[in-house]
Amino acid sequence: MTTVPVRPPLVRSSDRMIAGVCSGLSAHLGWPVRMVRLGMAVAALAGGAGFVFYAWLWIMVPTADEAARRNARRPASPIAPAVSGPAVDSRPGSSPPVGGPTIPSATADAQLQPATFPSAMYDAGPSFQPTAAGAAPFTAGAAPGTASASAAGTGAWFRVRSMRYGKEILLGSGLLLVAGILIARLLGADVPLGTLIPAAAILGGAAIAWMQLDETRRAGLVDKTKADQAGGWARLAAGLALVVAGVLVMVSGSGSWEQTWLALLASVAVLGGVALVLLPWGLKFWRDLETERAGRVRETERAEIAAHLHDSVLQTLALIQRRAGNEHDVVRLARAQERELRGWLFKDPAKESGQLSDRIKAAAAEVEDGLGNAVDVVSVGDTVMTDRHEALVQASREAMLNASRHGGGPVSVYLEVSDGGVEVFVKDRGTGFELHTVPEDRLGVRESIIGRMKRHGGTADINSSPDGTEVRLRLPAAAAENGEGKP
Amino acid sequence: MSTPALDGTRAEGQGETVRVVIVDDHAIFRSGLKADLDPRVIVVGEAGTVEQAIEVIARTRPEVVLLDVHLPGGLGGGGREVIAGSAALLGATKFLALSVSDAAEDVVAVIRAGARGYVTKTISGTEITDAVFRVAGGDAVFSPRLAGFVLDAFGTAPADIADDELDKLSARELEVMRLIARGYSYKEVAKELFISIKTVETHVSAVLRKLQLSSRHELTKWAAERRLL
Repeated sequence: MTTVPVRPPLVRSSDRMIAGVCSGLSAHLGWPVRMVRLGMAVAALAGGAGFVFYAWLWIMVPTADEAARRNARRPASPIAPAVSGPAVDSRPGSSPPVGGPTIPSATADAQLQPATFPSAMYDAGPSFQPTAAGAAPFTAGAAPGTASASAAGTGAWFRVRSMRYGKEILLGSGLLLVAGILIARLLGADVPLGTLIPAAAILGGAAIAWMQLDETRRAGLVDKTKADQAGGWARLAAGLALVVAGVLVMVSGSGSWEQTWLALLASVAVLGGVALVLLPWGLKFWRDLETERAGRVRETERAEIAAHLHDSVLQTLALIQRRAGNEHDVVRLARAQERELRGWLFKDPAKESGQLSDRIKAAAAEVEDGLGNAVDVVSVGDTVMTDRHEALVQASREAMLNASRHGGGPVSVYLEVSDGGVEVFVKDRGTGFELHTVPEDRLGVRESIIGRMKRHGGTADINSSPDGTEVRLRLPAAAAENGEGKP
Repeated sequence: MSTPALDGTRAEGQGETVRVVIVDDHAIFRSGLKADLDPRVIVVGEAGTVEQAIEVIARTRPEVVLLDVHLPGGLGGGGREVIAGSAALLGATKFLALSVSDAAEDVVAVIRAGARGYVTKTISGTEITDAVFRVAGGDAVFSPRLAGFVLDAFGTAPADIADDELDKLSARELEVMRLIARGYSYKEVAKELFISIKTVETHVSAVLRKLQLSSRHELTKWAAERRLL
């Protein structure tokens, strides 16, 4: 079970002659595409088997685009990445879509997960062994477990696992059973084929239909595509046909082919008529369901946004109204709220924090909240934080504190990351000061800025005039981290 | 956001008046801005949508349009669309982009459409007035943040000496942009680099031209990547 070779997913390639089936197949199997095409052509001559196989793959295998789209988490609204990003991740069913044999993502999923659940593999495997009859109840029984919201990780893994090997084991055991029966007949044993075949047909058909139901319901929780539905309908129809045929043969009990064919034709005609009548209703019902589902998603998003706005913006607005007399407080509240709202609207949950610019901005926000003067950060380039950068951030923070405290006005911070190193400039428009007039016991500038930068191999210059003060911090790139400067 | 680059250092323009149109979809912001502006700035029209803006600008032919980047109406292009729709007037009418958005793609898009500068909506009335006069005089107005975007987009490595192609900034232009990004006013930049304010303005206008005309692949790619941030 663990030695399954890693293959690229089976998808219809865009490099195609007709529908991209052959090149997709060759990529999946690792065979030369010419051989696959030739084989398909030869098979087509053999009673049209190639045609049938090709058509079947055409219908069942998604194109590369479709597969990619299915795997992608599609935001439901423009701000959805910000709003529902983390929520989507924590929902149990939203890891890449569920799959039958035609859905490639199962491979990737299964590779990611197995280490976590070593025992489940062996629990799941044997349940499939006995017969098709044994497998069907199992699948049905597994549904509530996998669909339940609690067992997130286990559910995802288990579902993928069981679906992935269930089909093969089911098919294999079915074929083994048939072979066994044939051998038994050859050996002269009396096997009641008249009842066995229809019974097997009914069981097989029901199994196919039930598994389908089970799958679409799970898939429905996550994702929906036309291709899935088409495949689903085909499987449902196959299951239905098998069951109907089995029931007919069993009921008629004749075993005579003519009679069975006639009955089959009649029942299919009746079923077709019924389907024709019910189809519009079914479609309407389906559409209503879709509309309602979309509405519910929007509603959830709206509720989330409303909750956030209530917690943040409305509270701040209330505070601002109470302090309307104090301009300083109002500006401070408004700026803090603006920063928070921007962060919420435009943050990218996938983007890892721990970038230098994020830390500098956080330090600026902290100083701004503490002292009330605006601290504007402009950053060019970015890099991943290291210990040395930590020192730079601390020194910058100290410089911002001084600038805000003594400058008494807005502070400009400029961060530039290049291959050569990192530079931070902190500028205020205060009255300035002379470094040598600062008393020896005041450690702010001398120790926290200049000393700290020197200890980490950097430099700090302070350029002060009556028009303002600018602190220039420079940290050259260490030899080891050359080249990781600008992203 | 403070824009210290605009500290009223322009000698010309004093005592003169400038006719402006304010384009913004928030009436509260328009009236607040009108109250904040210097009496020398005469507001001759207002508009709240793309269509209104194009119509008002064509009718009143102002010297400067204070243009919000995000506007309803039209094809959804916002301020960019207003500039495109007023292309015939682009010589006589200058556009100054105002935005509450810090998003690089918004700002760069409207600059590339033809705006002569960009300031955030939070700057003071005096600063906006200065910016208006500067733009009316044919200069470009760069805030520290816009300078940061430019440095990010063009890279911080200077072009070769005899290289006047559009894809790179010269060493001097880079210096000017860096100083503006650090919060220097044009006057302070001039002092720091020992050049005249006029020369600073020339450099800034050259950068603006490069930003508007450069078709370099990296610039569009950069803007597209920013959308993900």
